[in-house]
Amino acid sequence: MIEVEQLRKSYGELIAVDGVSFTARPGEIFGLLGPNGAGKTTTIGCISGLLEPTSGRVRVMGHDVVREGMAARQALGVVPQEIALYEELSAIENLKYWGGAQGLRNPVLGERIEKVLELTGLSDRAREPVKRFSGGMKRRLNFACGIVHQPQVLLLDEPTVGVDPQSRMRLLELVRAEAQAGTCVLYTTHYMEEAETLCDRLAVVDHGKVIAAGTLGELRSMLEERDLLRLTGVFQPDAARAAVAPIDRIEVLQAEEHLLVLSLVEASRKLPAIFAALEAAGCEVRGTTLTQPSLESLFIKLTGKELRE
Amino acid sequence: MHFIWISVVKDLRRWRRDPFTLAVWLAIPLVLAVLLNVVFGGGGKPAPRGVLLIADEDNTFASKVVSGVFHRDPLDKMLALERVRREEGRRRMDSGEASALLIIPAGFAQAVNRGGAFRLQLFTNPSQSILPKVIEDTVSITLDMLGTRRGGPPIGLKTTVIPEKKQGKSFAALFFPSMLCMAVWMIANALAGEIWKERALGALRRLAVMPVRMAGFLAGKLLAAALVFACVAGTGLVAVRWLGGVPVASLPAAILWLMLAGVAFYLLLLLVSMSASTPRGASMLGNLVMFPLALVGGCFFPFEVMPAWMAAVGRWTPPGWAVTQFSAILDGSAHAASLAAALAGLVAASALAFMVTLMRLRRSFAL
Repeated sequence: MIEVEQLRKSYGELIAVDGVSFTARPGEIFGLLGPNGAGKTTTIGCISGLLEPTSGRVRVMGHDVVREGMAARQALGVVPQEIALYEELSAIENLKYWGGAQGLRNPVLGERIEKVLELTGLSDRAREPVKRFSGGMKRRLNFACGIVHQPQVLLLDEPTVGVDPQSRMRLLELVRAEAQAGTCVLYTTHYMEEAETLCDRLAVVDHGKVIAAGTLGELRSMLEERDLLRLTGVFQPDAARAAVAPIDRIEVLQAEEHLLVLSLVEASRKLPAIFAALEAAGCEVRGTTLTQPSLESLFIKLTGKELRE
Repeated sequence: MHFIWISVVKDLRRWRRDPFTLAVWLAIPLVLAVLLNVVFGGGGKPAPRGVLLIADEDNTFASKVVSGVFHRDPLDKMLALERVRREEGRRRMDSGEASALLIIPAGFAQAVNRGGAFRLQLFTNPSQSILPKVIEDTVSITLDMLGTRRGGPPIGLKTTVIPEKKQGKSFAALFFPSMLCMAVWMIANALAGEIWKERALGALRRLAVMPVRMAGFLAGKLLAAALVFACVAGTGLVAVRWLGGVPVASLPAAILWLMLAGVAFYLLLLLVSMSASTPRGASMLGNLVMFPLALVGGCFFPFEVMPAWMAAVGRWTPPGWAVTQFSAILDGSAHAASLAAALAGLVAASALAFMVTLMRLRRSFAL
């Protein structure tokens, strides 16, 4: 279990994490979703003991990561964002080293190495130097090194960055399997679809703060089944706001000279009325994108910007 | 202990599979040594023979009869004759450059013809046993023959053995300790730079979140480096002893010293490398420290060929101190007590450097 209470981490005047709180339970995949620079990696750094929190508390399996660092680290498995592998060594030699560093000894270490190589589909390349591996294979081995010691808590920091679709699917299956085996998984990503398909519960973070948290269903309900309508063209922001305001249950999320983002119920039925109102206000619509309720639209609703910005 | 051991194995495996870096640093001093040996050490010349110096002050037919016997086979194959003045001959004998010096004073021909008493002088090299004796016997026999023919008192030969002095160092003995120390110094620099690779690939951060101590990681690196230094020292010393003919008073002490000195160099250069802010900066800073210290510290050129002031400064640098002690171990002039004190100093300096490096590693470099 991971318990984060009012976590705050600052570097001088820069506040990287600002009062983050959440709890991730055994057997659960808890997602931290947010754009680059939102504070996800810093949060993981504080949980893993790499960074000392400025204030707040973090406990891993009941152990305070600052005061009982060694005990907390014994329960942890970390799959870092970078591929932290020795390229001159083979997959087996890397697993021996990282598994040994986690305290495993033969014959258990040997058995676990065999198991994780099989899980990650690397058994047939196990004795080759890692420098000959593809990016996806390295990612899988990176993951294997994080789970070789069967951790109770697994921290995954954007483990699918730069991975081909096939390897990504495989990695996501591995993460699900770990959770099903009872591991508490904390998964950070800025990929919406990953978070939607993988995570049991989510915390959406931006500028170091949790701006929404809950299950996928709970988060979707925050949108009240609203669609997201994104219009591009030439707009006079104030005139555009005024023109669409009379339309039933419409909310203007963003109004700029070339972009208008609206949140509304049954958007497809209301499109003719919206176009007519905007045309009457002297606006010119050149492009339309309609999005069903999703994490993406939630994020835009909460922050007024796209997740990948 | 288990983690230290797997760290040693990990580093040795990595270095074995990427031997180019170490090979380059090992090759530089070896190439330098070979080149210097060829240029200054007489490589490629025919095998040396004995040298007989003759100071012929009589310069007559009779004196040439005496020197002429050494032109005959087989003596001409055993000895190279050089005509010298008496003073030059004495100087060269004192410096051990020849097998013998034969002085034929003026008046020798007169003594032979008139039958008066006369005496030649022969100075012999104490470090040679066979050739001086051959020369002495040959000259005696020749003089006997001359004496028998004239029928007067025999012409005497006074043989003087030059008192044995401590021999000067050979070229190899002078340069190879420096070259070996240079190899260790350069390999230490190359290994120290490796820490940036581990940092760049995120291995240090991964390690920092594991239930192991960074001290174990550093100790593993030191032990692996120590094994590399011991191999370099052992191979180098055996080559120097058997191929270069350099006397090695105590092979184990020499290997131990070079290994510990290597570890101390490694820690020093590791600290230098880690105090830079980028890998490129680390490389530049490492070279900036390594090359001047190697040059002044007697690794490129022995102290014996340096200006006195530079040698005096150089002996106080870390490589200079190591070279001085190492040379003393090789020629057997190091006393047990002073050697023990030097070893204790080296271990203490290494322990201090270990603590500082570890602190830097834990507090910032690994994170």
